[in-house]
Amino acid sequence: MISFLILMSIVVCFSAILALALNFQWGQGGMVNFGLTGFYALGAYAAALLMLKAGANTFFAALGAMAVVGVVCGLVALITLRVTEEDYFAIVTLGVGEMLRLLALNEDWLTKGALGLAGIPRPFGDSIAPDQYQYFLLGLSLALLFGTYAFLRLVTRSPFGRLVRAVREDDVVAATLGKNVLWARVRIFAIGGAIIGLAGSMHSIYYQYIDPTQFTNIVIAYAFMAVIAGGRGAHLGTILGAGVVMVLLEGSRFLKDAIPRLDSDQLSAIRIIIIGVGLIALLIWKPKGFFQEYRLKA
Amino acid sequence: MSANVLSVTGLHAGYGAGDILKGIDVALPQGRIVTVIGPNGSGKSTFVKTLAGLLPARQGRIELEGAALNDLSPPRRVRAGLAYVPQEYNVFRNLTVLENLKIACEFMGRGRRMDDEVVSLFPELNAFHGKKAGNLSGGQRQMLAFACALTVRPKVLMLDEPSAGLSPLLMSELFDRVKKVNSLGVSVLMIEQNAVEALRISDTCIVLAGGRVRACAPAGEVLGMKELNSLYLGDTSLDEKAQRVDA
Amino acid sequence: MLQTFFNGIVTGVIMTLPALSVTLLFGVLKFPNFAVGAMMTVAAYLAFALNAQLGWPLLAAAPAAAVLMGILCIGIDQVTFKPLRERGGITLMVASLGLGFILENVARFAYGNSARGFVMELARPFRFADVRMNHEQMITLSAGTAAMLILWFLLNKTPTGRAMRAVADNPALALARGIESPRVIRWTWFITGILLGLGGVLIGMDRALEPPMGSNYLISVFAAAILGGLGSPLGAFVGALLIGVVSELSTLVIPPNYRIGVPLVAIAIILVFRPQGLFGQPYIRK
Repeated sequence: MISFLILMSIVVCFSAILALALNFQWGQGGMVNFGLTGFYALGAYAAALLMLKAGANTFFAALGAMAVVGVVCGLVALITLRVTEEDYFAIVTLGVGEMLRLLALNEDWLTKGALGLAGIPRPFGDSIAPDQYQYFLLGLSLALLFGTYAFLRLVTRSPFGRLVRAVREDDVVAATLGKNVLWARVRIFAIGGAIIGLAGSMHSIYYQYIDPTQFTNIVIAYAFMAVIAGGRGAHLGTILGAGVVMVLLEGSRFLKDAIPRLDSDQLSAIRIIIIGVGLIALLIWKPKGFFQEYRLKA
Repeated sequence: MSANVLSVTGLHAGYGAGDILKGIDVALPQGRIVTVIGPNGSGKSTFVKTLAGLLPARQGRIELEGAALNDLSPPRRVRAGLAYVPQEYNVFRNLTVLENLKIACEFMGRGRRMDDEVVSLFPELNAFHGKKAGNLSGGQRQMLAFACALTVRPKVLMLDEPSAGLSPLLMSELFDRVKKVNSLGVSVLMIEQNAVEALRISDTCIVLAGGRVRACAPAGEVLGMKELNSLYLGDTSLDEKAQRVDA
Repeated sequence: MLQTFFNGIVTGVIMTLPALSVTLLFGVLKFPNFAVGAMMTVAAYLAFALNAQLGWPLLAAAPAAAVLMGILCIGIDQVTFKPLRERGGITLMVASLGLGFILENVARFAYGNSARGFVMELARPFRFADVRMNHEQMITLSAGTAAMLILWFLLNKTPTGRAMRAVADNPALALARGIESPRVIRWTWFITGILLGLGGVLIGMDRALEPPMGSNYLISVFAAAILGGLGSPLGAFVGALLIGVVSELSTLVIPPNYRIGVPLVAIAIILVFRPQGLFGQPYIRK
């Protein structure tokens, strides 16, 4: 049981990091990233490939993944600078995300396509005893989560953070500040991208095997639910939101024991239905989440 | 004393935290033309929007021929006989002139046929039936918007700055038609910046400033005043004259 | 090559129906509905239930399923989108994402993951100038075209259609002209349901019935609607045909797996350089 809790907590950690990225890009910056799943996959594959093919150790692989996703996101933001309508931007990111997933599925020479990449190493995998390892991984995940949170808090309170929120609130006003605004969008999206890359690397390290089926729309649904439950824009809230959502949804795995007559297809269908219902319910009843956005008093 | 076809008492409304309209009392007698003037930001547009139902009234009463309108949605108010021509975006640009006219009477419930007497006041529109409203000139659009509000003869017609952007020639043409429409029995409530022209055809003038009625007097008297802009500064000498609502 | 072109036209006609629904919904309700794919899936399975399980001929099952879907869409709107009406495009988009999950997985729950097919008579394909046209494709072309003509008539020659276009053009003015927006919204969803119902059946005829059948088309459908200009029914039609034909023709030069790349790239290019698409109309966003 403890094992299960520890492992679930690790998953909550990198899911929360992913949600923090979405929160930063959308909640703070007003840029809805409907391609989140694709970028997440990009991060996971980048890290995995760096470790498996280039022999990098996990630290550098993670950094590499962060750089790759950060740059790609930055490019996307750059190319779509002129697309200021929220929903059009969302559709474009959706398209990019889908394209990335398509690449993962089809470029077998690189990603082994549907077969996936196996044998992804873990940091200090050989040095630490197996039964201690999960504690180490948990500690590491928590540290990374905390680090990301601290970093984002710093950014939020900085002048850049104020610019970010100004861009979100009213890009006409922010635009009068000149080309800083356009660059701000690129930077926001790129920073968010780097964080997505981090989450992706953690995904690869945790599961040690990745294939395209792991990267479905469920990923982005989780992230949206965490951001909405936590109160869009609030970092701490997002983390708590991620925890709450994950607990509720992972808990639904136990449905299998409660309703023995259903087969596995039906069970996974029900779980996804619950996710959909949960997402809509959150939007209708708790749009501001359970917590509040940080606002500078000054 | 003629009855008031439209009567507004203690109206409060606003968009955000504060109220833009801070307690407005206005009465429109049957068959008359009342023009509301005032500086920018005084709440003139907000006033007609609230009357039309596009903005909820926070306090106060709006009555059409004695029946309360407060709980009615905008379409129901229009059907009750309160027509509204907004200042801008007052035609369906992607629909043709004919479609605009058709729509204007199709959803009015009773009397769905077009009021020919009124529409005959706008002969120039006949040539443009097939044209998209967005392709008309500013003046033509304004006339179309005006005609649409009248396709089913309303009891009250509310016009928000109808002369905005019109050349002087078109402007007097427009006010001419307002007068004609009024002679057919339609009571008119107008918001105007071009005060002089509007007041010439009006019975009563109301001055709105800072969300409140500052003055209410016969239009002829106001026109006779040497400095109209004193009205905008809330000239209190007007308040001293009896607030005779009926001309 | 001619064969590929013809296949492209057929695909395009199939996609016109959901593209029209996307564009109508965007025009009247101002948000992109990501659940259109899953809605088509559900409608297809409804037709399947009538056809394969209750024994109705497809000719009867299809319209029945379309009408059922229309009613279902009204219901879905009341429960899901109406409470969120005032909240803006992104909220509605995210809600439609959730809705898509629900609908697709209800179908999966009821019918499992394995592919099903309609019960139809087998018929020999025609050959015409080197192009093989099978029975299903001919039905698709005729049904699709008929549906579009009816829709055109509805939008342009009836008061309801005019009202829908008016609301899409200027919602506040529509109110001031006596148009009750709840009624227009109900009609829009009903028509959406019918279009998606028919679209779902046509996809089921063209390929097989399986849970992801509708969402596979999602990107292409959106590309079509965007290419044509969100809000323009004519645009949806033209856009769908273009995307259909270009996607099919592209398989001659790029690997078939990347066929979906065509609509994806189209979306990106259009939204960046000409967001209003070919026939898009500027509208009042309030």
